[in-house]
Amino acid sequence: MENSNSYSPYSSSSVDSTKPSPSESSVNLSLSLTFPSTSSQRETSQDWPPIKPRLRDTLKSLCLRQRRYNTALFVKVYMEGVPIGRKLDLSTFSGYESLLENLSHMFDTSVICGNRDRKHHVLTYQDKDGDWMMVGDIPWDMFLETVRRLKITRPERC
Amino acid sequence: MDLRLPSKVLEHIFSFVDSNEDRNSVSLVCKSWFETERLTRKRVFVRNCYAVTPAAVARRFPEMRSLTLKGKPHFADYNLVPDGWGGYAWPWIEAMAEKSPALEELRLKRMVVTDECLEKIAASFKEFKALVLTSCEGFSTDGLAAIAVACRNLRELELRECIVEDLGGDWLSYFPETLTSLVSLDFSCLDSEVKLSDLELLVSRSPNLKSLKLNRDVSLDALGSLLRLAPQLVELGTGSFSDKLDQEAVSKLSQAFTELKELKSLSGLWDVLPEYIPLLYSVCPGLTSLNLSYATVQMPDLVELLSRCSNLQKLWVMDLIEDKGLEAVASSCKELRELRVFPSGADVDETNVALTEQGLVSVSEACPNLESVLYFCAQFTNEALVTIARNRPNLKCVRLCVMEPFAPDHKTQQPLDEGFKAIVEGCKGLQRLSVSGLLTDKAFEYIGTHGKKLRMLSIAFAGDSDLMLHHLLSGCESLNKLEIRDCPFGDTALLENAAKLETMRSLWMSSCGVSFGACKLLSQKMPKLNVEVIDEHPLKTRPDSSPVEKIYIYRTLAGPRLDMPEFVWTIHKNPEIGVSNLAIE
Repeated sequence: MENSNSYSPYSSSSVDSTKPSPSESSVNLSLSLTFPSTSSQRETSQDWPPIKPRLRDTLKSLCLRQRRYNTALFVKVYMEGVPIGRKLDLSTFSGYESLLENLSHMFDTSVICGNRDRKHHVLTYQDKDGDWMMVGDIPWDMFLETVRRLKITRPERC
Repeated sequence: MDLRLPSKVLEHIFSFVDSNEDRNSVSLVCKSWFETERLTRKRVFVRNCYAVTPAAVARRFPEMRSLTLKGKPHFADYNLVPDGWGGYAWPWIEAMAEKSPALEELRLKRMVVTDECLEKIAASFKEFKALVLTSCEGFSTDGLAAIAVACRNLRELELRECIVEDLGGDWLSYFPETLTSLVSLDFSCLDSEVKLSDLELLVSRSPNLKSLKLNRDVSLDALGSLLRLAPQLVELGTGSFSDKLDQEAVSKLSQAFTELKELKSLSGLWDVLPEYIPLLYSVCPGLTSLNLSYATVQMPDLVELLSRCSNLQKLWVMDLIEDKGLEAVASSCKELRELRVFPSGADVDETNVALTEQGLVSVSEACPNLESVLYFCAQFTNEALVTIARNRPNLKCVRLCVMEPFAPDHKTQQPLDEGFKAIVEGCKGLQRLSVSGLLTDKAFEYIGTHGKKLRMLSIAFAGDSDLMLHHLLSGCESLNKLEIRDCPFGDTALLENAAKLETMRSLWMSSCGVSFGACKLLSQKMPKLNVEVIDEHPLKTRPDSSPVEKIYIYRTLAGPRLDMPEFVWTIHKNPEIGVSNLAIE
C-alpha cells in the first residue's frame, strides 16, 4: 500500500509563499491529501483533533442535549464536494435573503435559492422527515422549525 | 594548600539543592562536586527512557529513592505512535529491583507497564510508597491487587488516564487492614465497579487521605457516604453525577459537601445534571483547581458555578462554556493561572460555534496571572492573538488548536502568521507553543527569531517549505522538543541542522516530506542520535527517495535500543541500502 498520506499539498516547495486565497484553501481541503479523514468524507479521524483517547470516546458516545437556553438554532452547512462543513446559527438571520447573503460570503461564491441549473450554487435543506428540499418554498418561520441541515449543491448537476 | 571543601560540607550544602536542573549544573562544576552530588541525589528524572540505560542510572545514583520515567513521545497521546513501539517499564524495574531496592517512588508516563512489572515492584521494594502511572497501559487490575497486598507503607496509588484491563473491582479488597498510610488514591480511569464496602473500609482507616479520585461507576449515593468518612479531603474526583436521588439523599449529600472544609481541587463530575450543580456551591470559594472537562453542562449553569470560584487558579472546561461563560470567568476568577477549553464534539464541525477567539481575549484581559492556555475552537483571528499577546506578556504556555486545518483568519482570510508573531514577540518567557490554522513559512521565521525561550513546539498542517524547519532549528535556542505532523518540508533543513538535534531531547515528524535517504544520511552523520523510522506500511524495497511515514529522533547515551518492533527501522538494524526490515509478502 502506497504511503499516500505523507505528501502535503505543498510538497513541490514553492518558497515564494504568496498568501493563499480562501478558495485555494478550500481546494486544498477538498483534495484532502493530508487531512486525516481522507477515507470517508466526514468520519471522525482517530488522530485529529489532538485530544486524548478518553475524551474522544466520551465525545463519541455523548448525547449532547441540543436544547439551549437561548433561542439559537445551529445547523450544519456543507458545500457539495468539500469535506469540512460549517455550523450556522439560523436564528441570527431575518429571512432567506440574509441567509443567502451570509452563505455566499462564507463560501465565497454566489448561493441562490431556486431550481438547480448549470451556473449557480443552489441551497437545499434536509427537513425533519429526512427529505431534501429546495430552500425558499415555505415561509421562513416554518423553515426554521423543520430544517435540520443545509447543503449547497454544485452547479451542473441534473 | 588544599582549598577544596570537605565532602561532608559539600553534602550538607547540596542537601539544600532541590531542583534537578540545579543539581545537573552542580554536577558539571568539577569531579568532586560530581561525585558528591551523585551520592546525594534522591529524586531522579529520566525524561526519555531510551536516552540512558537503567544500569547507568542505578550506578550513578546509589541513593535514589524516587524515579520518574517517560517513554513514548507526546504524539502517542493522539494515536500517532503505533502499538508495540516501545517504552517498556520492565527493564527499569528489573534493574532497580537488583541495584536500588530502597526505591520508594516510581512515576511513569506513557510507558508500557505489565502485571509482571507491578508484581516485581511489590516483591522487590520493601519501602515502596508511591506509584503514579500517567497514560500508561499493559496492566490489569490483578497487577493492582499485587501492589495493594504487598506494599505495607503505600502512600500514593494514582492511575491517571491509563488503559487498564479491568478484571473486576476486587483489587481494592487486597489492601490489608493494617494499611493506614494512604494519602492519595486515583482510580478514575478504571471501568468497572469497585465494591463500595471495600472502598469505605479503606477510606475510614486512612486518616491521612488527602486525595481521592473515584471512577465513573461510583454512584452519587456512595459519594455521600465516602465524603462523610473523609471530610479532610483536599482533592476530590467524583464518580458519575447523574443518578436520581430523593430529596433526603440530596440534602444529605449537600451537607457532606459543606463539611469539606479543606477541599481545593474538584474533578470527575461525569454527566452532571444541572439540578445537582448547586450541591457544589459550598466548596466553590475554596477551590483552586476545577476540572469540568467531562461535565456536559451548558453555559448558564457553568456561569452559576464559576462565578462563585473566586480563588480558582486552574480551570479545565468544555467549549460549552462559550464566550459568554468565559467573560464570567474573566470577571470572577481573578487568580486564574491555567485555562484549558476542550471541544465538545470529536468532529471538526461539531464544535460549539458560540465559543470563538473572543472568549480567550476576555480572559487574557482580565486575569493578570494567566500563564498557561490550551484552547480548542473552530477559528481564530490575528487581531485576537495580537490582543492576547498585548494583554498577557507573561504567558508561558500557549496551545491553540484551530480545529479546521488550514483555517485562515476568519475576518481577513489572511494566514495567522502575524498573530503568532505577536505571541512570540510579546510573550518573552514563552516556553511552550502549539500553533494551528493557516500558516506560511513566515510564521516560523517569526518563531525562530523571537522564540528564544521556547522549549517545546507542536505544529500540524502548516508551512510551505523547508524554510519552515530551518527557521525553527536555527533560531530557537532553547528548543528541546519539536513535534510536527503533516507539514511539507523535506530533507535539506533536517540535514543542514543536524547538529542542533543533539542539543534537543527529541524531534518527531509524521506525514512530512522526509525521504528514507535523508534518514540514512542523518543516522550516519550523527551517531549520538537514534533515528527511528516508523513505518507500518513499508514498501518491499525502499528507495532513497521514498518518503517515510514517521520519524522519531532523539539523543541517547544508550546507543540503539534492543526492543524495536518490526515496523521501526534504524541504521543499526539495516545499514544496507534499500531493503526494508519487513520485506515479506
